[in-house]
This record gives sequence, structure tokens and C-alpha cells, in this order.
Amino acid sequence: MDPVLADRLQFAFTIMFHYLFPIGTMGLAPFVAAFSWKAAFKLDEESARIARFWTRIFAINFAAGVVTGIPMEFQFGTNWAAFSRRSGSVVGQPLAMESMFAFFLESVFLGVLLYRRGGLPTAFTAWSAVLVCVGSWLSGYFIVATNAWMQHPVGYSIAPDGTIRLVSIWALLFSPFLGWQFAHVLTGALLAGGFIVAGVGAYYLLSRRDEAIGRRFVCAGAIVGLIFAIVAIFPTGDRNSEDETAYQPVKLAAMEGLFETTHGAPLAIIGMPDVATRRLIDPIFVPDFLSFLAYGNFRANVKGLNAYARELWPPVEITYYAYHVMVGLGTIFFAVTALAVALLRLGRLWRSRWMLWLLMLLMPFPYIANEAGWTVSEVGRQPWIIYGLMRTAEAGSPTVGAGETVFTLIGFAGMYFLLGALFLYLVLREIGIGPASGVTLSSVEG
Amino acid sequence: MAIAGFIVVAFMFTMYVLLDGYDLGVAAIAPTIARSDRERAAMIASIGPFWNGNEVWLVGAGAALFALFPVAYASSFSGFYLPFIVVLWLLMFRGIALELRNHLPSELWHQFWDVAFSLSSALLIVLFGVALGNLLRGVPLDAAGYFQGTFAFLLNPYALLVGVFALCALALHGAAFVALRVDGDLGERARRGALRLWWAVLILYLAVTAYTFAIRAPLSASWLFAMPVLSLAALLDLRRCAARGHAAAAFVESSFFIVTLLTASAGTIFPYLLPAFPQGRGGVSIFAAAPSSVALACALTVTVAGIVIVGIYSPLVWRRMGGKIRVE
Repeated sequence: MDPVLADRLQFAFTIMFHYLFPIGTMGLAPFVAAFSWKAAFKLDEESARIARFWTRIFAINFAAGVVTGIPMEFQFGTNWAAFSRRSGSVVGQPLAMESMFAFFLESVFLGVLLYRRGGLPTAFTAWSAVLVCVGSWLSGYFIVATNAWMQHPVGYSIAPDGTIRLVSIWALLFSPFLGWQFAHVLTGALLAGGFIVAGVGAYYLLSRRDEAIGRRFVCAGAIVGLIFAIVAIFPTGDRNSEDETAYQPVKLAAMEGLFETTHGAPLAIIGMPDVATRRLIDPIFVPDFLSFLAYGNFRANVKGLNAYARELWPPVEITYYAYHVMVGLGTIFFAVTALAVALLRLGRLWRSRWMLWLLMLLMPFPYIANEAGWTVSEVGRQPWIIYGLMRTAEAGSPTVGAGETVFTLIGFAGMYFLLGALFLYLVLREIGIGPASGVTLSSVEG
Repeated sequence: MAIAGFIVVAFMFTMYVLLDGYDLGVAAIAPTIARSDRERAAMIASIGPFWNGNEVWLVGAGAALFALFPVAYASSFSGFYLPFIVVLWLLMFRGIALELRNHLPSELWHQFWDVAFSLSSALLIVLFGVALGNLLRGVPLDAAGYFQGTFAFLLNPYALLVGVFALCALALHGAAFVALRVDGDLGERARRGALRLWWAVLILYLAVTAYTFAIRAPLSASWLFAMPVLSLAALLDLRRCAARGHAAAAFVESSFFIVTLLTASAGTIFPYLLPAFPQGRGGVSIFAAAPSSVALACALTVTVAGIVIVGIYSPLVWRRMGGKIRVE
């Protein structure tokens, strides 16, 4: 096997597994903060129980995120030594910022939430929950900043030996690519958070237990879900694609399966890209709509893959399908939450068991949409590891063979399987116990 | 420039050893001093709110090394590929054990994770020690600065001795921490455990110091001779404090002991981040690919600002969370 292929598989596997947890952390943190806030300042027992319930689930999620996050930074050094040597002076900076500014904040104040001594939540715990939320979002910001730089490098110079050197950290932190990308990433996580809260609530209502609390969850979750389902499409998703159009037009062509440059390019809703014959098989088109989405003009000229050398194409099929999965799911999320909120307004949601089933069963799908979105972003950037500057093929570690990487990949797979099973077991168990019991992690106090 | 960068990286690694060192040490010593499920839970509660923040220093140190000395970062991490991945797995396992332990009220579940926690932590300390030993001894490097040796090379007697020394020194650090944070019988047992461990640490310290002088002579700077004297003074005073029951002072001395050891190590390998073996053959020096002034200014600002901010809110949290833990 090609060593770089092994490295890519390992990175894809470890980052995609890891990312499942930041979705939950960034998405649930505001709920934990809001519930803790309510519990601390309204001092009612039910809010306190709800706050504790989500804190427990958040804690399991956070722990899984922390342990799977540790290898990520170090993998740059172990598996991508050539990349690190060339770009460390730039890429290392936002990572250092993440540790010092975000990660500390998050972990120190989560410690407060988890290990506080019994009783009702106080103002101190409510503030801690807010700071955990700020920390997790900041952490996401620095990581997306790193990625945005790899998508659209700015604020650097190239030394005579080929090393990429930092010229301006501000350029990196306020890169034109970063704003909408981060907004879209955060939106995806908040959407997932809404669906998790609504889904758990729907489960309680369907099983006819904890119904008062279940209604609160469905209400809060469906409304947050609807808001961010809209924001995910417009403006964040829309603007993010505009940035792709401007900075990585070949990625846009692959996302849309547009093989030929077209005036008034159609938008493919469905269809299977065939790279060998350079066409979409069995497509359903919306005429001229892609030109409108990309340039705001139905007759605009959109460059197709044929405008670029074949070796600059990303893997078209993966990029295309991942993009369509994300957009298709996004549309479903909007439709379902809009309907749920409408039923809520009409006062018919609690009788509509089919809708509660739908909300419960949709819980895993925002995860798929989030992962698919990142797949578009990362696979679509190929063959570059740093867009326009360094190719993925030349980024690996010269001293590490494919065999070693495959071995460690299998090790990671085993470890993550165990962790995934434990995570599901513990979270499902917490949901089974439910908020009414008001359990804390009391055994901690001995 | 390069020297300031070296100091930043060394400082962050030292903070990591100092802080996560007690977490690892508490785990390593737990099987010998905790006698019941509740006592083990109390030991874990003593580090529970802090370990995650402590581990951030490792991530921060890695990022600082990445940003300031990418060549050293890339060649050491990819050069020691498998040992490094094993360290990552152990770090993950330690975290999982610590965090998931309390989520089920089952003694069997607790026992499994307690053993996993102690074993992975003890192994981590030994591996960190072996890594430090090899750093001091030097490793075979090719012209581009990539590691060219074997496992057998890394597991040499000197590095293994440093590994065992690290285990005992951090176990002592952990025991001093438990004595400080836990009340009653368990705290008292930790104190007595520390006093017993002290002898092992003393003997190993003398052996490692003599061995280091033997393989590293002559030393590059004369101030380095002061370090062993300071370490020894800290170690002796640690015994006096622990014997009299001054838990806080004992923990401070233990911290000071570790800081002097790491300062001596950093001073010894300077100006290399990865000295070559045999010595005198160069290595990956901080001057070889010195950080640019912009990268350095940025990393320095981040580090200093980060420490100031953490310095503001950590004491607040410590005051709320740092009270004595009682075993019920």
C-alpha cells in the first residue's frame, strides 16, 4: 500500500470518529449552560434535575472527545512529518492558541461542573457552564482557523528552503475563508444539539414517562433545531459555497458534478457522477439554478471540471455524494423541524406520535450531515494538503512505512470500537435513568 | 530568538510534568495505599477536577514545539513512531478509565477501571522517563534529522534506569499530593507511603545523577553543577516536611525537586532539541531551523497571555474545589 494512502485512511478514521464528540460538545454546551442558568436563578427542583441530567451526558461526551482528541495534534508529527516541517510555523500557532485559550477554560470549568459538591446549582456553576460553552466554541474556532488556512492559505511567506513561514497571525485568524466556515461548522453542531435534546424528549413522551420534562426537551430542541436548520442553509451554507466558488472553484465543480463549463448551469438534485465518461448518469436537474447559487445570476458562467487539468481534480464521486448527502439531509431537517414547530404552535404536537417518532429516529442524522460536510471540505481539497502550496502526496513521514501505519490504524480501530460501545452504553443508560431521578456523580465524593 | 523559543517549550513541558505528574503519580501509588472502593474513589476525586486541565499542558507543549521548532517536532514524532503511538494509546486509556469510572455504581466496574488507570499511568511514567533518558543520552540521527535507531537501542540501561527513577519520583509527588488533599486515614497512609518511597527516590536519584555525569561529561555550562545540589536539598527538605506532617511544604519541595531535575535536563541537552548519539555528533539544534521572529513573538504572546489568564481563573477554581476530601 502507498504509505500516504495509509496515512490518509488513518487520519480520516481518527478525525471522523473524534469529530462525533465535538459535535455533541459544541451542540449541547449551550443547553447545559441554559439549563444550569435556569436552575441556579429560578431555583426550582425540576430545572436542577434537568441541568444535572444534561451535565452527565455532556460529561461522557466531553471525556470521549478529550481522549480521541489527544492523538489528533500529535498525528501531524507522527504521520505527516513533511507537512509539519514545512508548515509548522503557521499551523502550530492556532493549535497552541487552542490549548492556552480554549482548552484550559473548557477543562477547568467542566471540572467545576462535574465535581461540585451536591445540592442545588449555584451562580458559580451556572457561570462555569457558560464558560465551558465559550471554551468549546473557541476551541472549534481555532481548529477551523487551522483548517481554513489549509483551504485558503494567507499571511505567510515562503523561505528559500521551501519552509512556509508565518507573516501575520491576524491574517490567519481573520481569514476571509474562516468566518463563514466556522459559522457553518458551529451551526451544524447546534443543529445536532437541538435534534439530540428533541430526540431524547420525544423518547420520554413516546414511552409515556417523565412527560413534563419530555415536553420541555421537545420544545427547546425543535425550536433550536429549526433555527439552525435555517441558518445552516442560509446564510452560512450559502456563503460557505460562495467562498468555495471564489477560492476553490474546482471543488465546487466536483460538489455539483459539473463536468462541462456551462452558461446557466443546472443544479443536479440527483444523479450519479461517472468520471470515466465525464457525465452525470440519470440526473434530475433544476435548470440554471447552480449559476444562481454560485453567482446570484441565472445566466452566469460556472466553470466545470473540464476547465482544470485532470490531476487537479479531487475525487469527484466522494465529494459529490458527500455534498448531496449533506444538502439532502439539511433539507429534511428543515422540513421536519418546521412541521414540528407548526404542530407545537397549533397545540397538536403532543398528540402527533408519528412526529415524535420522527424526531427520535432523526437523532443520528445530523451527525451524518456534519461528517458529510467535512468530507466535502477535506476530500474536495485534494490533491492539496495546503491548497495550491503543498500536495498531500508529498506530506507524509519519510521514516514511517505503510505497514506501521496500518498496524496503528487497526489499533485505533480496536480502541475506538471499545470506546464507542462504552459511550453508547453509558449515554443510553443515562437516558434510561432519566432526569427525574436527579442522580449526580455522587460516588465521586466518596 | 531561538533560545527564547527553547525556554518556552521547556517551560511548558516542565509544567506538564509538574502538574500531570501528580495525576499520574496518584494513579501509580493508588493500589498500594487505598484499601477500599471508597478510598480509591477519594483518590480519584482528589485529581478529578484538575487532571484534564493539567493534560492541556502536554497538548500546549506539543503545539509550541510544532510552531517553534517544526523540524524537531516532525523528526522526533515520526522517528519514534510506534513508541509514540503507544504513549497516545496509554494517554487515551488513562483518560477513559478516569472519566468513566464513576458512571456506573458497580464495584466490579470500578475495580476494572481502577486497575486500568493505575497500570496505564505507571506505564506512561516509565515511557516518559525512558524518553527523557534517551534524550539525555542522544539518539542516532540521519542527515535530515530523522531517527535511525531501533527499539533495542531505545531500551538501554541508562534510559530504563531513568524510567524507574521517574516512576518512583512521580509516585512520591502523587503521594505528597494525596497527603495534601485527602483527610484522615488515607491522607496519613499517603504520607507514610511518601516517606517509604523517599528512600527509593534518594538511591535512584544518586545513581541516575552519577550515571548522567558519566555519560554526559563534560557539562556544557557551569551553572548546571548547581542543579544537583538544589535537587538534593529539595529532596532532603521534602523528608523533613513530610515527617513533620507539613503536607503543603512537602508538596512544594517535591515540585521543586522535579523542576530542578528538568531544568538540569534541559540545560544538559541545550542547544539541541534532539541530541545525536554518540555525543558530539550534533543533532537537531534549535539554531538549525530557528523560528522566525513573527512565529516566536506569536507563540510567546500566546503562552504568556495564556498563563496570565489561566493564572487568574485557576486559583478561583482551586479555592472552590481544593478543599480537603474526606472518605466517608
